[in-house]
Amino acid sequence: MGPTSSIEQPPRIVSVWFPDWPVTAAGFDAGTAAAVMSANRVVARTAAAAADGVVIGQRRRQAQRRCPHLTLVERDTDRDAREFEPVVRVVAELSPRLDVIEPGWISLLARGPARYFGGDRAFTDVLAERLVETIAAAGTPATGIGIGVADGRFASSVAARLAARRAAAVIVEPGDSPTFCAELPIGWLQTLGECDAELVELFGRLGLRRLGDLAALPVTDVLGRFGHPGVHAHRLASGADVRPASTTDPAPERRLDHVLDDPAAQSGAVVFIAKQLADELADTLAADGRVCTRLVVILESEHGERSERSWYRSAGLSAAAMVERVRWQLDAWVELPRGSEQELTGGVVLVRLVPEEVRADDGMQLGLWGGQSEADRQAARAIARLTTLTSDDAVVVPVWHGGRLPAERYRWVSASTVDLDRRARAVSSAGTGSGPSGPWPGTLPSPSPATVFADPHPAELLDEHGDTVRVSARGMVSGRPATLLLLSGDEATGWRRGRPRRIVAWAGPWPVEERWWEPGRHRRLARLQVVTDDGDGFLVVAEHRRWWISARYD
Amino acid sequence: MELAVELPSALPSALSSARSVLAERVAPLTLTGERTLPVSEAFTELFPERGLVRGRTLACSGPVATSLALALAAPAVAAGSWLAAIDVPTIGLDAASEFGIALERVVAVRTEAARWPDVVAAAADGFDLLLTRVPAEASPSAMRKVATRLRQRDVVMLVLGDPGPLSCDGVLHADGAEWIGLGDGHGHLQQRRLVVEASGRRLHGRRRCRLSLPG
Repeated sequence: MGPTSSIEQPPRIVSVWFPDWPVTAAGFDAGTAAAVMSANRVVARTAAAAADGVVIGQRRRQAQRRCPHLTLVERDTDRDAREFEPVVRVVAELSPRLDVIEPGWISLLARGPARYFGGDRAFTDVLAERLVETIAAAGTPATGIGIGVADGRFASSVAARLAARRAAAVIVEPGDSPTFCAELPIGWLQTLGECDAELVELFGRLGLRRLGDLAALPVTDVLGRFGHPGVHAHRLASGADVRPASTTDPAPERRLDHVLDDPAAQSGAVVFIAKQLADELADTLAADGRVCTRLVVILESEHGERSERSWYRSAGLSAAAMVERVRWQLDAWVELPRGSEQELTGGVVLVRLVPEEVRADDGMQLGLWGGQSEADRQAARAIARLTTLTSDDAVVVPVWHGGRLPAERYRWVSASTVDLDRRARAVSSAGTGSGPSGPWPGTLPSPSPATVFADPHPAELLDEHGDTVRVSARGMVSGRPATLLLLSGDEATGWRRGRPRRIVAWAGPWPVEERWWEPGRHRRLARLQVVTDDGDGFLVVAEHRRWWISARYD
Repeated sequence: MELAVELPSALPSALSSARSVLAERVAPLTLTGERTLPVSEAFTELFPERGLVRGRTLACSGPVATSLALALAAPAVAAGSWLAAIDVPTIGLDAASEFGIALERVVAVRTEAARWPDVVAAAADGFDLLLTRVPAEASPSAMRKVATRLRQRDVVMLVLGDPGPLSCDGVLHADGAEWIGLGDGHGHLQQRRLVVEASGRRLHGRRRCRLSLPG
């Protein structure tokens, strides 16, 4: 152990881990093949999907190839947090001092409850029983529960993940954490978000395959070669998961609060205040080169009800992450069942952010000349403000989807569900120039229309004799298109015809036949480009024996 | 929601100001580009400053308005500026991407007409470029506030169609669009030749240019 043994012993920690929590939150049971996607990659899947070979990190296409009947849903971190709330409440009944690391992952100090219930094993049994009850009450769980007990948060989190695989609590006896850690592959440092991928890869290239290999190196050499992130990794690998004492005690003036004269009844207003506090807190900490790793959020209502929760993230909480946690906590408070203790009955009058644990920010610094630019940072702030001003669904960013019709090619997703910084790199590396994956077969050649209607406008296309143009089953038009009429109104009140536009040039029809193997979603349509005498270009589509304007080249 | 409008960004960010001071000191020289956003070569004749001057509002009208606006914005977005499309849900992203707009810096905001001035003001804090339509029922006083805000924040706003009560610094009108590539039952749309005319109080004289889209 050498130099680390002189430091105080790491506290004994119980970690609770729900593997693939997002699918449970989305309401799937273990028997349904389902997966939750984020940025086109699988982030969680049910046991049935896993059995078919769906792996986390897989692309949508690959996952669907492995498991054709896979149900896919988009990730919604708010939903994950909301559904996780009952679980947090159950654990809080047993031990109030708990840290929510992310939805699906809690840690708490083992000492008090273990002593009360008569040992680690007895406590984990009680905990597991309660949790199974809670989850079962909400429906059939998609995945199991992992409970791990060990000295130090890192060892305990690993134990919880192993426990989820073995379907039994993993308890590392007091003092055994160093031996437990020594046998683990080095990749755990990255899996638990303690170290970045590059550092872990470098360790691997240097031949440090297990945590024990790293722990065997003298700490001074690690410091000289890898700096503070390396020392952090070394500390975890040695099973001594204690932050140096100097960094765990933030000055009391760091706590920030805001008292509202008018109780805020809308959660948007509270989140907005939290955003300001979080920005200020993150900025003052950053000015000292520090970052907050554990944040206690306290909310109070005008009737004296109180919501207090502690949030932990080993990589440090950015201002955006703090606000997200305030929003989760607020949502959970609002949805507290009627009649429960601390139920929210009035407006919020106090928002307080207390950084319980800060440490030196050895992570990424914003570069002056590289990385995230000032423009990116300002835009991220403006997006957050716009979201509070309107709603989550109103502020959206495009995500490549693919398809033959202009309206299908991109989907708009809520900006708050997207990590804009990471996305900037992901999207540009995919190269959006001609569509991220090269030309999509069957799309019309460039230029693409500048105006695309999500819901196509009804129209009429007439030939020289004034008859509606038909497209035959073999993809031929019945006559030369001569006139285009835009329709307004609706089916019930009857369609009103707009001004007739003479067609001066046209081409097509280009047929599209999609999903002919799936009766419910089968689409068959034909596309036509037309230019009218006033110079307007349109993409018109024949579907269900009607004409629609799908896009306009304006 | 009065609160949300009154309280933005008042908190000084010591770090970012320190960083900008430092950036200023280490920058080799003050770039003329700081005051303007770049436009593509074909458009430079339209502007005396040969770029989009920050803080100004331009209206794009005529049957080619949307393509014109996207083509104008593209070089700036490609160079790192962010674009907010406010209340333009029909923006064709393929076309935007073909003009060279980096889609990872495009954000769309949907809003009702009553909130439009607030949304534009909030967007002006973080975006270099705004693309929007002015709601018909907007009041002149709200429009004046919006214009002031845009000037203070050095934001270029491109308005599609009728700017209504909003007074614009310039109007770009494209006429005489002529499509190439589409015949009578054959071919496909390939290119459009048009004449763009710029007028307005900040664009003295009548400035015209011929160009092709996509160029």
